[in-house]
Amino acid sequence: MRLPVLLAALVAVATCSEIFAGHQVLRVIPQSDEELQKVQELQGLEHLQLDFWLAPRGLGLPVDIRVPFPSLQAVKAHLEAAGVSYSIMIEDVQALLDEEQTEMLRSSRQLPLNTDTFNYEAYHTIDEIYNFMDMLVAENPNLVSKLEIGRSTENRPLYVLKFSTGGTNRPAVWIDTGIHSREWVTQASGVWFAKKIVQDHANNEGVASILETMDIFLEIVTNPDGFAFTHTKNRLWRKTRSKHSGSICVGVDPNRNWDAGFGEAGASGNPCMETYHGPYANSEPEVKSIVDFVKSHGNIKAFVSIHSYSQLLLYPYGYTSTPVPDQQELHEVSAKAVAALSSLYGTKYKYGSIITTIYRASGGTIDWTYNQGIKYSFTFELRDTGRYGFLLPAKQIVPTAEETWLALKVIMEHARDNMY
Amino acid sequence: IPESGHKYYLQFSTEDYRTGEDAGNCLATVLYPQKKAPPVVSIKCSHTKDKKEIQEEDNRLYQRIRHQSKPITGNNIPDSYGNIEPALEPVWALAVAGSSSIMWEKSTESRGYFLAQVKSVRQWIRKDNFTEFDYTVLLHEMPTQEIISCHMRLAWLPGHPLKVKHFCAAESRAADGGSGAESGSAAGPSAAEGA
Repeated sequence: MRLPVLLAALVAVATCSEIFAGHQVLRVIPQSDEELQKVQELQGLEHLQLDFWLAPRGLGLPVDIRVPFPSLQAVKAHLEAAGVSYSIMIEDVQALLDEEQTEMLRSSRQLPLNTDTFNYEAYHTIDEIYNFMDMLVAENPNLVSKLEIGRSTENRPLYVLKFSTGGTNRPAVWIDTGIHSREWVTQASGVWFAKKIVQDHANNEGVASILETMDIFLEIVTNPDGFAFTHTKNRLWRKTRSKHSGSICVGVDPNRNWDAGFGEAGASGNPCMETYHGPYANSEPEVKSIVDFVKSHGNIKAFVSIHSYSQLLLYPYGYTSTPVPDQQELHEVSAKAVAALSSLYGTKYKYGSIITTIYRASGGTIDWTYNQGIKYSFTFELRDTGRYGFLLPAKQIVPTAEETWLALKVIMEHARDNMY
Repeated sequence: IPESGHKYYLQFSTEDYRTGEDAGNCLATVLYPQKKAPPVVSIKCSHTKDKKEIQEEDNRLYQRIRHQSKPITGNNIPDSYGNIEPALEPVWALAVAGSSSIMWEKSTESRGYFLAQVKSVRQWIRKDNFTEFDYTVLLHEMPTQEIISCHMRLAWLPGHPLKVKHFCAAESRAADGGSGAESGSAAGPSAAEGA
């Protein structure tokens, strides 16, 4: 019966042994009583260890036989001598099993084959995200390209996706996620944004119109060393992983390392603290590479840096209570963006300048970008407001990304319509 | 308030931590004495649920805990992906309540807290009817962004105020990746009672 074979197969799979190597599955369709008899004879030859997947039933009905490698010659000779034709359905049973095993492992590890089968509702590792980026580029070579803008402290590549329909150095929007590695919903949202941009372009809706005149740059894993660390050692790691002489503590807060009020109140000079600003501005390669990119590009019109959590939309400054000259306009854009965000799921956001809305923070990203002349500089703090905090359940990834995207579109459209 | 500190008057709505349902409104005053912890709080709330309903829910929670065949233990609640095992939800709920008393003790006008994660929990079986748990909880401190590790001992019986003792590690972490290696001069063991 099949049971012992099934058990053997299970044992084989469990112990990863290859007991079906070289086995073939032959199909015979008896056309006459003689042929049927010949096939039935095989059933009696126990030493051949044949495994009838489809037993002989009658004329014209297929008989499928798994033949172990040592018996192949004998069985084929038996059939050929009697003039019974057969076909080889499976050339190597073990090879098929191996392939299935790989496929099963692949789907259980959620290794997608393309960006349509990628699971946007789950958190991913850095390798999975880097793999996603390559797939996206491969699927959309005329729209998406991958730029390496530098290397992290631990020598991981810093990748930026460029979405462009052409032109030369068009005015551009910059979006970064994951600068603080423990804020996992941000990297996950970044992945979703990337796919969304491609989809909108394909369907000629949404940001397709923005892409007619502007480029979009998206850095999804802005702090890859920190991100890797949150997967392997400490889920709540925030900073980079740089080491500095004179301290056993590791890491610099990449959102205190920019050259805007660097080192002033609102950051810590203690290497062991989460808001350590670093030994000097742009000491962190993760920060320096963006600084270099922004300066050499020279035509970025909107800059959005994404964090979690608190549900806030913020504009400069954090290092000083002096309002920015464009305070009024930025406040109005924020109001509009937040309204768009809330319209989807009712998620409530507050908005305002960094220093008036959360706290004084010096050396921050958007303070620097604003002072570079990038008027539309914003920071988001995504879901939630503290219930799960950094450990936001995966099922909230897509709703968060969807609502945030509506706010991002408001900002991008405003930049496009108010070129400066 | 001169010579005393700053007093805030608050009006806010509350929601059930588990279901998100509206749970009533509160009026409170919070006095921060000269920027030191803890603040002095007076509060009055209207409940959407009546006392009986609350009692029944407490009892259900209590029974769930009592009916475990082995002492409850757990790690990383929620896990890295934000998941909480249904079996560990009661234990998480108690941690939320208990850690709020730690936060109250440590809060100042310029420093606030959230519960980031329950790092570990172990139940201690007692001879009396109280349920007792030993926790390591991680608090997210604002605006410093620090993760503070606190050891919390919690005892509960429905109808009685939660009994909480805690000891939090000193702030500056010597080693990366974990809580402080140094024992701190921070708040010694203290007992706080909360409803």
